[in-house]
Amino acid sequence: MGCSSRPQEALPGKGAGGDGSRPLVALVMKSLANEFFAAMAAGAKSHQAAAPQRYDLIVNGMRNETDVAEQVGIVEQMVARRAAAIVIAPADSQALVPALARAREAGVLVVNIDNRLDADALRSAGLTVPFVGPDNRAGAKLAGAAVARRLQPGDEVAIVEGIVTADNARQRSLGLADAARDARLVVVDTQSGQWEMEKADGIAAAMLAAHPRLRAILCANDSMALGAAAAIAAAGRREVLVSGFDAIPAVRPLLDDGRLVATVDQHGDRLAVEGIETALAILSGAAAPEDRTTAIDLVTGPDDGAAP
Amino acid sequence: MSAPAADATAWRALRRHGVLLAAWGALVAVFALTATHFLSAATLQTLVGRTPGLLVVAAGMTAVILGGGIDLAVGSVAALAAGVLGIALVDWHWPVAAAVPLAIAVGAVAGLAAGMMTVGLRVPAFLATLGMLEICRGAAYLVTGSRTKYLGGALEPLARPLPALGLPPTILIAAVAVVAVHVLITRTVFGRHLRAVGGNPRAARYAGIDVGRVRITVHVLSGALAGLAAVLATARIGSADPNAGTGLELAAIAAVVIGGTSLAGGAGSCAGSVLGVAVIATLEAGLAHLGASEPIKRIVTGAAIVAAVALDFLERRGREGDGEA
Repeated sequence: MGCSSRPQEALPGKGAGGDGSRPLVALVMKSLANEFFAAMAAGAKSHQAAAPQRYDLIVNGMRNETDVAEQVGIVEQMVARRAAAIVIAPADSQALVPALARAREAGVLVVNIDNRLDADALRSAGLTVPFVGPDNRAGAKLAGAAVARRLQPGDEVAIVEGIVTADNARQRSLGLADAARDARLVVVDTQSGQWEMEKADGIAAAMLAAHPRLRAILCANDSMALGAAAAIAAAGRREVLVSGFDAIPAVRPLLDDGRLVATVDQHGDRLAVEGIETALAILSGAAAPEDRTTAIDLVTGPDDGAAP
Repeated sequence: MSAPAADATAWRALRRHGVLLAAWGALVAVFALTATHFLSAATLQTLVGRTPGLLVVAAGMTAVILGGGIDLAVGSVAALAAGVLGIALVDWHWPVAAAVPLAIAVGAVAGLAAGMMTVGLRVPAFLATLGMLEICRGAAYLVTGSRTKYLGGALEPLARPLPALGLPPTILIAAVAVVAVHVLITRTVFGRHLRAVGGNPRAARYAGIDVGRVRITVHVLSGALAGLAAVLATARIGSADPNAGTGLELAAIAAVVIGGTSLAGGAGSCAGSVLGVAVIATLEAGLAHLGASEPIKRIVTGAAIVAAVALDFLERRGREGDGEA
C-alpha cells in the first residue's frame, strides 16, 4: 500500500445529496492515486452503478495519505452534506476518532474499513464502530509462512516494513515476525522501506551486505518486494527468498519465475463494497453493527506445491 | 577573469573539495568501524548500482542552482518519464532505442514548461517547479493508471555489470552525463552566461546576455537529465512505480549544497556535487547497514546536511577574515 503525495478526487454520485428516498453513503478513502485505493473506489462505483436505486454514493480521496487534517475536513463536509453513512479508511488510527464521534452525534452511521481505528481511542471517545476489513497480521503471517516452509530453523531473515504510524503497517510487521518465530527463524534486521520500491532497494542491498547468511527478506507490501528483488538480483544472491503483500499485477512475473515466493490478496476492490453493504444492512435494520473480517488469500508461484 | 584570480578560484575549489573528501573518508571510516561488512565489494557494488540516477539529477541541479534557480520538480518528472518509458516498452512494444529517447524527451518537455513559466510568466523558479512537481506527479499517476508497471528484462543489460570493467553501463552513462555538464558549465559560452545570470541577472542583462534563454535552456537540461535518471533507475529495478522519486529533489539539492554550490547562484561545481552525492549515498547505505530506525536515519541525515553547509560557511568566513576573498 501506498505512500506520499497525490491528487484529490471528489466525484459526486448520481443524485448525490439524497432526495430522501435513497440513503447517501459517503466513502472516505486515503489517496485515490494509490492503486489499492483506486481499485477500491472503482469497485464501489460500479457496485453503486449496478443498482442505482439502492443508494447514492459520493467518493472522496485525499491528496496526501498521511494528511490527517484533510481527511477530518472531508468527514466534516460529509456530515454537512447529510450523508446517512460514512464508510471510512482512516489515514490515522487515532486522530480521526474525534471527528467520527462528532459525525455519530449528528446521527451519521460510521463504518470503518481497511485500517482499523484504535481500540483505546474509541473507548475513551465512548464510541463503537463496526470494522470491516482483512486481518493484516494473519495475512502477513500467511506470506511469511510460505517463505518459512522453504527454510530451516535457525536461518536468518530480515523484515522490510511500511510506515509504522499506520495500524496496518504495524499489524503486518507483527504477522511477519509471527511467521518467523513459528518457524524458529532468526530475524536479524527490521527496517522501514516507507512502502516504496527504491527505498526498499537501498535497505535490502544493505541488509544483504551486512548479513552474508541472510536467507529471506519479508516485505510488508509488493512495491517494496520489487525493490528487494532488484537488490537481490544486483547482488547475485539468488538463494535469498522474498515475500510481499497486496498481489499487485506488477509482481505476477516475479511469482512465475520464483523471484517472489508469495504475496497475499486482500481483495481491495471488494473491501469498500463490503463496507457499503454492511452500512446499508445496518441502516435498514437487517444487521447488527458488528465487525466483519474479510477474506485474505495467499498467492504463490506455479511451482509452489506446498501452497494451499 | 585574470589568470591569478582564476588560480585563486581553482585553489579554493581544491581546498573545498579536499575538506569534503576528508569528511567523506571520515564517514566511510566510521561505518567501517561500526558496521561489519560495510567495507566490502557488495557495498561498493550497491553504491555504484544505485547512485547513477541521483548523480545525473544532481548534475542538472548544479547547473540550475548555478544559474540562480532551483528545480523542485525532478522527482516527479523522473516518475512521469519512467511511467512513459514503461508504457512505450510494454504497451506500445517500442524498442529500447526509441523508448529511452522518448523518456528523456518527456523530461526535457517538462523542463521546457517550467522554464517558459519562469521566463514568460515571470513566476519564480521555486514556484514554477513546485507547480511542475504537482503536475508531473499527477500526470505520472494518470499515464500509469496509478499502477506499478513491470518492464521485464528490456532495460536489464543497462544495469548488469560489464564483465571487463565490473561496472554497469548505468554508472558509465551517468559519468559521461556528469562530465558533459561539467564541461558545459566550465568551458563554454553558455556556462559563462549561466554563471553571470546566477551571480547578477541585471548585470548579465546589461552585458547583453539573453537571460530568459539561458534560464529556459538550463531547465530543459535539468528536465532531460531527470528523464535520463528515470531510465537509469528503472533499469536497476525493472519496474516503473508512479510513486518513485519522491524526495529526489531534496536529496539532489542536499548533494549540490554539500558539494559547495551556493544556493544564491553564480558559484559552484559538478565535482563538488559528485562528492555530495557520495556523502548522501554513503550515509544512506551506512545507516541501513547499522539497521538504524527510520527516525534516527532522518535525524542523522538532516544533521549531516546542516553540518556540511555550516562547515562551508565557516570556511568561507575564515577565508574572508584572511582577506583572501
